[in-house]
Amino acid sequence: MRLLLIEDDDILGEGLRDFLTADGHRVDWCRNLRQVAAHDGEPYDALLVDWQLPDGSGLDWLRGRRRRGDATPALMLTARDLLDDRIRGLDSGADDYLVKPFAPEELAARLRAVSRRTAGSADARRRLGEVEVDLAARTVWLTGQRIELTSREWAILEALLLRPGRIVAKADLERLVLGFAAEWASNAVEVHVAALRRKLGRAVVETVRGIGYRIGSER
Amino acid sequence: MKASAPPSIRARLTRALLVSSLLWIFAVAAAAWLAVHDEVDELLDDTLQAAAEGLRGPLSQPATAEPPPASVAGSLPATTGSGRFAWQVVDYPAGGEAKLVAGSPLAPAAPLRAAPSSGFGDSEEWRVFGIPLADGRRWLYVAQTHAERQEALAEVALSAALATLAIALLAQVWLQAQIRHELQPLQRLAQRLAERDPQDVGAALGAAERDELQPVHRAIDELTQRLALRLARERAFTGHAAHSLRTPLAGIDAQLAIALRESPPELQPRLQRVRTAAHRLHRVVSALLTLFRSSAAIRLQELDVGEMLPRLAVEGLRFEIATPLRLRADADLLAAALLNLFDNSLRHGATRVRLSLPRSNVLRVHDDGAGVSPEQRESLQIALAGQLDAGGSGLGLLLVELVARAHGGSLQLPAVEQGFAADLDFGRQQTAA
Repeated sequence: MRLLLIEDDDILGEGLRDFLTADGHRVDWCRNLRQVAAHDGEPYDALLVDWQLPDGSGLDWLRGRRRRGDATPALMLTARDLLDDRIRGLDSGADDYLVKPFAPEELAARLRAVSRRTAGSADARRRLGEVEVDLAARTVWLTGQRIELTSREWAILEALLLRPGRIVAKADLERLVLGFAAEWASNAVEVHVAALRRKLGRAVVETVRGIGYRIGSER
Repeated sequence: MKASAPPSIRARLTRALLVSSLLWIFAVAAAAWLAVHDEVDELLDDTLQAAAEGLRGPLSQPATAEPPPASVAGSLPATTGSGRFAWQVVDYPAGGEAKLVAGSPLAPAAPLRAAPSSGFGDSEEWRVFGIPLADGRRWLYVAQTHAERQEALAEVALSAALATLAIALLAQVWLQAQIRHELQPLQRLAQRLAERDPQDVGAALGAAERDELQPVHRAIDELTQRLALRLARERAFTGHAAHSLRTPLAGIDAQLAIALRESPPELQPRLQRVRTAAHRLHRVVSALLTLFRSSAAIRLQELDVGEMLPRLAVEGLRFEIATPLRLRADADLLAAALLNLFDNSLRHGATRVRLSLPRSNVLRVHDDGAGVSPEQRESLQIALAGQLDAGGSGLGLLLVELVARAHGGSLQLPAVEQGFAADLDFGRQQTAA
């Protein structure tokens, strides 16, 4: 998943970035809202937002994003553990609320759970014809046989699975898979999609000509 | 030592009223005595004079040794056993001694006056009024004893005193009722304060029922405002402290999680121990923050301890629960207390913890660790009761005691054959919200 992490504490931010990156996610880490502004318009699979930031409130920022119609799954990371705070956080658009200190393993698990639910399923397993995918275990089977995917192939598959039935533009897919400010070869997505089709079958990823790609919502 | 009760306003006012009433009664009696003394004297003298002048006519008969005729005697003033008056007719022959010619039964046997004497005069026992009869030789004396006159005066004074006493007694009853009535606003004020929501410390007390209570209301309102301000500051501080403590702790855990993944296998046990210690630190910090914040607001609810245990995520301990452990407590505080007790168990080598409810709303946590000697247990209990550093038990047990105390209960350390046991009494405030 491509994640936007907004956390002003260096030790925590770096730790979470490295932990989530090691889990296979692409993490853009911003220490304040000014840095976040540079990421406006970027597609993300989930947002990890600290409430109290040096130049403003992460909660207000999220509320503004929700008002603009953005539905990206968001987890509030905060030291504020009062019941009223938790209610306020969730009512302001957060999909989950994690009180510091927390184990990064728990954050990763909640991230997966929120993404699954946002994609319309409580189950980590998805079925696409003869292809079965376990988003939690990052494992793919074709007719019962485990298939090894590269990290990029997995990232493309995961990005499309988290948006079932929706067309994902090629440019967005590039940014979701590669991350912020990275440069790819112009045909890199096509190359990885072709590799996926070779491994999982042609029908697994649908090309919507001139727009992007789509994976069906069949389970 | 039992403190003596403070003096009662009602009792003091009653005593003051009683003393003032008695003084008032005596003062009124004395004033009545002084006021009527001369008047009564004058009145009695007038009566003596009138009686003498009334008798003068009938008794101005020619001198005789016989008592006055029946017609005359019948018109004479009463000389009954009350002894109000006595009269004498005394003859003063020329060159001879005074001779009693006639007298009332109670009159003295000797003449009241040895020589003729007109007007008022006093002897040892008698007040006498003398008047000459028509022949000029005989004199009529009408007299009254001093004792009788004193009695009349005393009766007047006593009547005045009794009337004052009656008024004072009625006033006492009325004033007692009035005192009770006037002290009721104080009781209502106490009741309003007792029923006040601790969450709402900044709220004004409202208008005073009596002018004299206004300074009390003002003082209480000022005090509650200061308390509210202090509470708000403490909450703000707790919020800042929470952020300042929790975020680095989360950072440490995240860094350790990465280090565990990236480190060579031989370093991993050591890093894992560091991470376990960091988790212990989380628990203590969480418990402290919860306690400081919750001291004014305990949220009681029905809890199942068995259901809470998996969420506490304590590694290294096996739990035994015989029956469902339901009790009424604040969930966050109970979790903080349990985490500290479990932490204590782990530090003392326990691997198994048995949870039970020996009494209603009392949770026993009994581990199979090293335990403590009876002397250590006793000194721990004393230290906990006094909220003192429990010498070596660390912050954990003190926090657990604070949690129990916040619920209106206490932490007891019962004697057990093996391991260490703690009874967390959550009090009996079952009706609280």
